[in-house]
Amino acid sequence: MDTGTKISAFAHVALIGWAFFGGTFRSEPLPMAVQEVSVITGEQFAAMTAQRDAPDVPTPTALQQPETPEDEVVPPETVEEELTPPEVVTPPEPEPDPVPDPVEVPPEPEVVEEPPTLEQPEPVTEVLPVPPGPEAQPRPADKVAPEPIAPPPPEAQPDEVETPAVSLDEGAETQEEQQDQTAPEEATDEIVTEAEETKENAPRTSPRPRVRPNRPAPPAQPEVAEEQEQTPPEPAQSDTAIDDALAEALGQGGEPSGPPLTSGEKDAMRLAVSKCWNVGSLSTDALQTVVVVGFSLTQDGKIVGGSLRMIDSSGESAGAAKQAYEAARRAILRCGAKGYTLPADKYDQWRDIEITFNPERMRIK
Amino acid sequence: MMRFLTSLLLGLTILAAPVYAQSGPLRLELDQGIIEPLPFAVPNFVPDGPAATQYANDISRVVAADLTGTGLFREISPEAFISRVSSFEAPVQFADWKAINAEALVTGAVSVSGNRLTVRFRVWDVFSGQELGNGLQFAGTTDGWRRMAHKVADQVYSRITGEGAYFDSRVAFVSESGPKDQRQKRLAIMDYDGANVQYLTDSAAIVLAPRFSPTGDRLLYTSYETGQPRIYVLDVDRVRRTELATQDGTMSFSPRFSPDGRSIVYSLIQGGNTDLWKMDIASGQSVRLTNTPAIETAPSYSPDGSQIVFESDRSGTPQLYIMPANGGEATRISFGQGRYGTPVWSPRGDLIAFTKQNKGRFHIGVMRTDGSEERLLTSSFLDEGPTWSPNGRVIMFTRETQGASGRATLYSVDISGRNLRPVRTPDGGSDPSWGPLQN
Repeated sequence: MDTGTKISAFAHVALIGWAFFGGTFRSEPLPMAVQEVSVITGEQFAAMTAQRDAPDVPTPTALQQPETPEDEVVPPETVEEELTPPEVVTPPEPEPDPVPDPVEVPPEPEVVEEPPTLEQPEPVTEVLPVPPGPEAQPRPADKVAPEPIAPPPPEAQPDEVETPAVSLDEGAETQEEQQDQTAPEEATDEIVTEAEETKENAPRTSPRPRVRPNRPAPPAQPEVAEEQEQTPPEPAQSDTAIDDALAEALGQGGEPSGPPLTSGEKDAMRLAVSKCWNVGSLSTDALQTVVVVGFSLTQDGKIVGGSLRMIDSSGESAGAAKQAYEAARRAILRCGAKGYTLPADKYDQWRDIEITFNPERMRIK
Repeated sequence: MMRFLTSLLLGLTILAAPVYAQSGPLRLELDQGIIEPLPFAVPNFVPDGPAATQYANDISRVVAADLTGTGLFREISPEAFISRVSSFEAPVQFADWKAINAEALVTGAVSVSGNRLTVRFRVWDVFSGQELGNGLQFAGTTDGWRRMAHKVADQVYSRITGEGAYFDSRVAFVSESGPKDQRQKRLAIMDYDGANVQYLTDSAAIVLAPRFSPTGDRLLYTSYETGQPRIYVLDVDRVRRTELATQDGTMSFSPRFSPDGRSIVYSLIQGGNTDLWKMDIASGQSVRLTNTPAIETAPSYSPDGSQIVFESDRSGTPQLYIMPANGGEATRISFGQGRYGTPVWSPRGDLIAFTKQNKGRFHIGVMRTDGSEERLLTSSFLDEGPTWSPNGRVIMFTRETQGASGRATLYSVDISGRNLRPVRTPDGGSDPSWGPLQN
């Protein structure tokens, strides 16, 4: 073989070898999308397919959901109906759950009517604000959803502009805002109902004096406590207001006025008196009489002489009220003979006490 | 300069004002107390001389017994007294009475002048140191010392409880003596506590169901002395009786006065049928109030005289009914199990007492006038015939024990069901009728 042939043969071998081993024919792996597969229910699948169908136009369908919420926005009514439970306000959050249900239903009709409804959006939005007042609760929404009219309006909104997924959040926010508004309505409604309930409690509170009566001038014992009680009303009147204020300040110098009594401390005082409140010898009329008795205590818990007085009574008979008051007075005096045990650092809180004696539960039928 | 310092001082005062301002008095509400007899003390009344000593002691004991007997009061034994009341006018040492926990104190004085007895007394609220009401004085003959003691007790009771009392009242009843098969019955009258028993009839004839007039001066009762039941009116003071006009061939029983005392309502058996009738005492004219084939009996007026409660078996078993005082449609008010009888309207008008027989037991009970809130107060082999105290707080009735040696006794019970106690009488007693408070 001549040299040319050898060179040619070598070149061909080299070329072939490069072709095979040089990677010329290797192809890089094509990009592949990996998708995880999970088991889904038939309903979910149907929902997914429905949404796919919707996309053609109704991508808004998902947005329409806000409308059902808008229907939910109506809550004010729910608020009105649910007078008693103020907490009911929380339910609005669960509303999103009900939303999906209506969503499934509407989509189908949407497919058919969507095109026409596109133009109606505006009227729909107008309608929405109106219903809020009269419309029903979120649950009633189920009833509303089935109605053919309800679904179309939702579609209208998405058409307007606000289609982004954000709409869900916005819808939620608007709901919250409206709920905030409704909350006060609930409160007012509740107050009304509570007022009716409070009628039952009326006897407990009504006998209490709204205005504190003037205390009888202490004859013998010019105690500090009494002076203070007399001074408060005066300062605003005369020219000696400053002097009175100073006197008051000086007088109060050593009297502690801590925080209000705790419920436990009040219960202890209540118990201390109730142990001596003997209604066993009272007439049936006196047992139907509620009396409010006021008195003052010294710093060591003893009753200020002459401070006991009947402030109010509920009975029809003055005689019965007198007997009821005397029984209450005996209770206060007898159990307070050695002084009531009350927190000394809160003297200003219990210097004056008014006790309502209500024998209703101890009545002989 | 002075003004500046004053302002400065005032400002500092305001700054130093307590953080926790007291807006008003501490307000508490009590709805639970205790129910127990109120402890009281009755030191022996102070006699003005040796002749009054026994009366003073006796009156003090009767006053204490009256109050204790109600179950609403508890006497503190004189042995526990710290101080002695030696003078009616001397100031009371309240500290001594507080020390023994006496909530009420009764002090008094007794004077005797010949046959004349005078009692003075005061009632004190020990813990408030105040007098309840004003001092009061009663005067009478020495024979009436018990009545004066009852009147003192009445005042104490009213001043503490706020309702009328019943100590100075009398009870008419049938005194029973002898074995059951030969029981002798006499009409009798006594103080409410069983003292001073007086017999108004002998035991020659059976007498039943005495009923006081509203003023307490007359008694209605039924006697079998002619062999047939007849109604008589007895003048209590003169012990003189009158037979009410009756129709031939009839038997009348179970009479009761109207609240105005001018007429009576009673049962009349005519032709085998028992109905209610009303008779005008002055004219003797009778009017039929019911006309049914059933047995109607035991009528009792409401305090205002507008209605009558009675017993009838028109429904098949004896039950209680209410109808207008002049007759008319009756309304049944008892619907519980058992048989109801002898209804009596409370002087307060709010309750009706009755006898109930159920499951072999007898009960005395009370219910509202519409039949609601029925409450049985007693239970025994045989309880019957309730009668109200003048203040409507206590019921007296007959309790009979079982067997041939069984004995009828008077008992009293508070309308709350508490304080059930026998009334002491020389012999057995039945059919009580509680009269009004005496003047």
